[in-house]
Amino acid sequence: MFTGENVVSGHFLTGGAFKPHQGLEVNTSIQMENGQRFGNFPPFQDQIYNNASVPQLENNVITTTFKPTPVVVPPAALKLGKEGFKKVCRTEEHSPCPFPGLPTGVLEMRVKEGSKIRNLMGFAMARMQGEKGFCGAGEGGLRQVVFTGSGRAVTKTITCAEIMKRKVGSLHQLTKLQYKVVKEVWENTEGGTSEMTVHRTVPSISILLSKDPLDPQEAGYQPPETLGALWENKDGGTTPSTFKRPPETLPFDSLPYCKRACSGEGVS
Amino acid sequence: MTEIRNPGMSSATLGQSSDSGHCAVDIDPVEYTLRKRLPRKLPKRRNDVYVNMKTDFRAQLARCQKLLDGGGHREICVHGLGLAINRAINIALQLQASSQGALQLAANTSTVELVDDLEPEDPDEAAEPMTRTRNNSAIHIKVFYPDP
Repeated sequence: MFTGENVVSGHFLTGGAFKPHQGLEVNTSIQMENGQRFGNFPPFQDQIYNNASVPQLENNVITTTFKPTPVVVPPAALKLGKEGFKKVCRTEEHSPCPFPGLPTGVLEMRVKEGSKIRNLMGFAMARMQGEKGFCGAGEGGLRQVVFTGSGRAVTKTITCAEIMKRKVGSLHQLTKLQYKVVKEVWENTEGGTSEMTVHRTVPSISILLSKDPLDPQEAGYQPPETLGALWENKDGGTTPSTFKRPPETLPFDSLPYCKRACSGEGVS
Repeated sequence: MTEIRNPGMSSATLGQSSDSGHCAVDIDPVEYTLRKRLPRKLPKRRNDVYVNMKTDFRAQLARCQKLLDGGGHREICVHGLGLAINRAINIALQLQASSQGALQLAANTSTVELVDDLEPEDPDEAAEPMTRTRNNSAIHIKVFYPDP
């Protein structure tokens, strides 16, 4: 259920930035912010919500398919659980694969919030390392694998990708971020009649790991890791310059890339 | 590398720990107090923003926005560790949305090693302080105006 800030991060509406690629289906008229950064939404038909203070919760933008009334209401995700609603089902809307020109023989691992990492990794590693019994032709494993996850599963997705990179060395990585629209159907446990469809936009991540080299100019490309490569890549290989902080606060002075990474101006 | 033990600190930005699949779960035979060490202090350029779960989301978003608009930086880098990964991604996507597509995102992921200090609960126990290392995921998102 919803636990405050750990809630599946929804979409934080900002001024006039409704873009078609976000894929939000707006069935009702949504009043945009009154100088705040929260969207205001019409309440549900049979439930009245107080216009409580804006919650600490970051972004929970919910559009509903109910008829709007003029009263404004805060994001209602927290109330849904309390008001005796139960989530019936949750379907993800299909969004296009963010990787251009991906061959069809690619394994797609969909990481969900409740997925067990050892199950995911067992399957993926077997496929990538090509057990004889697994791939019928015995080619020696797949070349590419995509991990996708959204909402609360994002961290797990990244963890799976990192574990795979560690076990199967020298993999090229491409990371893409986008919003996904998730449709949830909530049902009233007591009333039994009322039903709500909630559209929520959640951040999602797709990580492509490939044994074959990828285009380094692509945004989100990460070469196979060598020690210190991450910091060097971020700086674009700038010349070493002095620390901003006094050296004694850093317990890891001996590491060479620490000195190199802190530069005056960032990389343009 | 030897690490200095900082006394009595609490965890700052540590989120959920990941099951790396290497280390077996061991049950401490002796009661220990677990103290999480802060992650390694990473060098911070002017355009680096480290996201955490304690500071208000809007404040962090406003800070990033200010760096991009007023600070005159062509790019900023948003970092998130553990649970703050979600928030970092949200901030980056928000920045992109509010720029009406002018900004582009490039995300890199990494693994950060975190060290826990295990101190024996009972001073009479003949147990020595141990340290345990675990891994956590981190994300680094570069938000930039693409070169024309």
